[in-house]
Order: sequence, then C-alpha cells, then structure tokens
Amino acid sequence: MIRLFFLTAVAAAAQGTLLVGTWPHTIQVIDESKHQIVDKIDLTTGIPGGMQLSEDRKSLYVNTIEKSGFEVVDVATRKVTNAFALNEPNKQYRIRGGAVDPQGKFAYILFRTIEKKQDRFEVSKETKFGVVDMAQKKIVRTADVPKDEDQPGFGFGGQMRFSPDGKFLYVFRNNIFIFDTADFKVVDKIELAKPQIPGMQNIGIGGSLDSIQEPGMLISVFNSQDPVVHRNIFGIARFDLIKRTFDFTPVGPSTTGMMGLHVTPDHKKGYTVAFNGQGGTRRCEFWEFDLASNKLARKQEFDGRARFSLAISSSGKELYILGAGYDVEVYDADTLRLKDTIDLHADTTSWIVVPASR
Amino acid sequence: MKHLRAINQKARRIEDFVASQDDDVVALQGPPGGQQNRPHVPMGCSLVFSPGWEVDSAGGTAGLCQPVERDLYDCYITCFWPAQVPDHLNNYPDWTAKCAAATKDWRNIDLVFP
Repeated sequence: MIRLFFLTAVAAAAQGTLLVGTWPHTIQVIDESKHQIVDKIDLTTGIPGGMQLSEDRKSLYVNTIEKSGFEVVDVATRKVTNAFALNEPNKQYRIRGGAVDPQGKFAYILFRTIEKKQDRFEVSKETKFGVVDMAQKKIVRTADVPKDEDQPGFGFGGQMRFSPDGKFLYVFRNNIFIFDTADFKVVDKIELAKPQIPGMQNIGIGGSLDSIQEPGMLISVFNSQDPVVHRNIFGIARFDLIKRTFDFTPVGPSTTGMMGLHVTPDHKKGYTVAFNGQGGTRRCEFWEFDLASNKLARKQEFDGRARFSLAISSSGKELYILGAGYDVEVYDADTLRLKDTIDLHADTTSWIVVPASR
Repeated sequence: MKHLRAINQKARRIEDFVASQDDDVVALQGPPGGQQNRPHVPMGCSLVFSPGWEVDSAGGTAGLCQPVERDLYDCYITCFWPAQVPDHLNNYPDWTAKCAAATKDWRNIDLVFP
C-alpha cells in the first residue's frame, strides 16, 4: 500500500519536457516543472519544421525546412545522432507530409521537386511518395500517388501514420487512404464524406492528440455533420491502425471559431480556445469540457495574441499558448489564468510535448 | 419591364450599365459565393512587397500581430512570402542568421540588395 502510494506520488510529480523548435536552427528544451530552458539542441541542417516522436519516445525526428533536412535526436541525451539534407545543389525537395516507420529506418515522405535548369526552375507537376533511408541518407525509392487525388498547387498531402507492423501507410485527407508500403498500391480507402456510420457525414479528422496517444491507435479530434439538419459536431475519434475501425465520441456542437481539443492524460477533461468576433474586436476564451458528461464545464476569457496555437502539458495541469512569437505563455488549467511566461529569445516554429514516461 | 427593349445606342448602353451592376467582376476573383460581403484580398494577406503592410481577414490591420515583426518568421514559413522577404532557399539562406527573435533583434536582419 505504501509502495503504491509512493509510485502514485512519483507519477503525479513526474513532469515531461516541452521541446520547441525555434529560429534560426535550435530546439529549446523546457523543463515543464520549472518552466525553464534547460538545454538547447543545435541543428546543422536549418530551421526546425515538423517534429515527430518514435513509438517508444526515445527518438525525436525533426524535419528542417530550407534544405529539406532530417535530424534524429536522442531524447534522453539530447544529442543529434543523425543529420542530413535531401537538397542537392540544383535540385530541391518540397516535403508535403511525412512519417517515420515504426523501426525508425525509413522516413516516408510526400514531395515535389524543383530543379534548377540553365535558364529556369522546373517545378514537378506531380506529387510523389519517397522512401528516405535514414542510414544511407537519401531517397531510395519513389512511387506515384493516386493521380485523381493529386491536386494542382497543393498536391497530395496529409497526416500520415503507419500500422504497428509498418506494412501499411495511412494518409488522412478528406478520405483515408491505406497504402501497402511494399509497392504503394492503394489497398483500401475509407470514405469520410459519406461513411458507413449512422448519423454522420462529412467527417474531418483533425490534428492528433499527442497527450493521450496509445500504441496502434490514432487519437484525434474530428468534426462531422448529421445528414438531416447538417448540425456540426466535434469530438474525439479513435482510429485503430490494425483493424481499420473508427470509434467516435461526440463532445458537442462545434462553432466556427474554435481550435482543436486538447485532452488531459486521464481523459477526464478537454480544453480548447473559442473565438468571438474578428480583427480588433476578437475575444478569446478557454473552454473546458467535462468529457465524462460531454458538457461545457467552464469558460474563461484571456488576452490572446493575434495568432497562436494551443498545447497541453504532459500532466494536463497547464495549457500553453505559443507560436507567432518568441514566448510561451503558461496557463493554469485549474484556474485558466496566466501563470508564467517563458521567454525563448527566438521565434517558434514547432513544438512537441514529451511525457516523462509512458 | 421585360416588354421594353433597347432600340438605340444610348438605350443599349444604359442596359449594359444596369446589367454590369448585377455581377461585379473582380480581379483574380475566387469561387462564386466564397467571399460575399467581405473585403476582396486577391493575393492573400499582402498586396505589396513589404512585410507589415498586410491586412487581416476583415480587411483591416487590427487583427494582425503586434508589433508586425512578431509574425514575420511565422508568415514566412506558413505563407512562404516569397516576395516580401529575401529568397531564403536559393540566394540568401543566411538573412536571418543573426536574428532569432524578429521582434527583439530585427535590426540584425540582413539587408539584401538584389
């Protein structure tokens, strides 16, 4: 009993790390319990863009922007263990989405190329899949994406996930495409506009909820309409990456100006930011949802900067407002009041919360 | 009024003028019905090639980041801003090398003379 209490107390006290990618080429490591920068990781290939944790949360994969680079960071030691750039002197890659396979050996990307010719730059018209060998540090395999889905301009992109065995690649768009990673053939397509789910249509899958991820599952916010009166609903979607089945938990009616939902690790509460008005008269409010009863529990107005993103701490006790600037505002999730401001002395590009332990 | 028909040049001009008031043609028009009763900002938030002169979704400046330097880098990454800032990808990859926080250190941003 004493041991159980001790373990519970340790778990409660355990705080994770907030990793923030900043200009010009740094990842700043913030101790969530102290609200202090405890380390800085210098990247050699440029401005940090997207960041992704490995399944075991031991490695951090960073995509850098100007040279289309990849860097692998050992989370425990905070050392860069692998770094390379895809761009060649006369050929650049524009990456539209990507994911690293469960073994950490290959990064699967969607890309277009820009080639510098003698008198012009030639932009490829088609998006392609590319398999980047992290050891060889180059693209070792390419394949076409479905032609009727490759839109001019924006191309084919979206959130990407692997099945736990790495055999299938899921691309989340207006529909979910499932590709065989051996030959990039579409093995299945799940319609989200008119799914085989009673009372729902036009389902949109939002950003993943990193705070409550489970192995083999993609947990994400979703929006949908009912087919009769077209009322918009938002909630939490759980997609089983093995069985390819959905589980939707509606939370409430969605409004036009609302950010994604962030859920506490115990799944009891969800937080979002709602907007009223626009431009100079815009007002920002934290909304707290009780997810047991799916009710809006509390609202609290706060001074929101013109553009920002919302994140939640690994313990679920703090909310972060960050982006479009050089600081992270820390709000207490209990009082929804500003608690601290962390000055990064550098503009942010991306961020990820790393829990202390699974 | 359908039984009335223009029979001379002036009447036809009047008819054309009245018709032109119905469907306004806007430069670089978007899809029909997309931006009804809203400011028409055809090329995105910034029409001129200078950061800090963009408009918000309401056509004003009250919804922009303040000071303007606060979202200089963010706009560069998310909107790409190929004309408003130096060409980071090809010719001036180091224009921000001495300036990590644009709001604080904007004086250190490299001057570029193309």
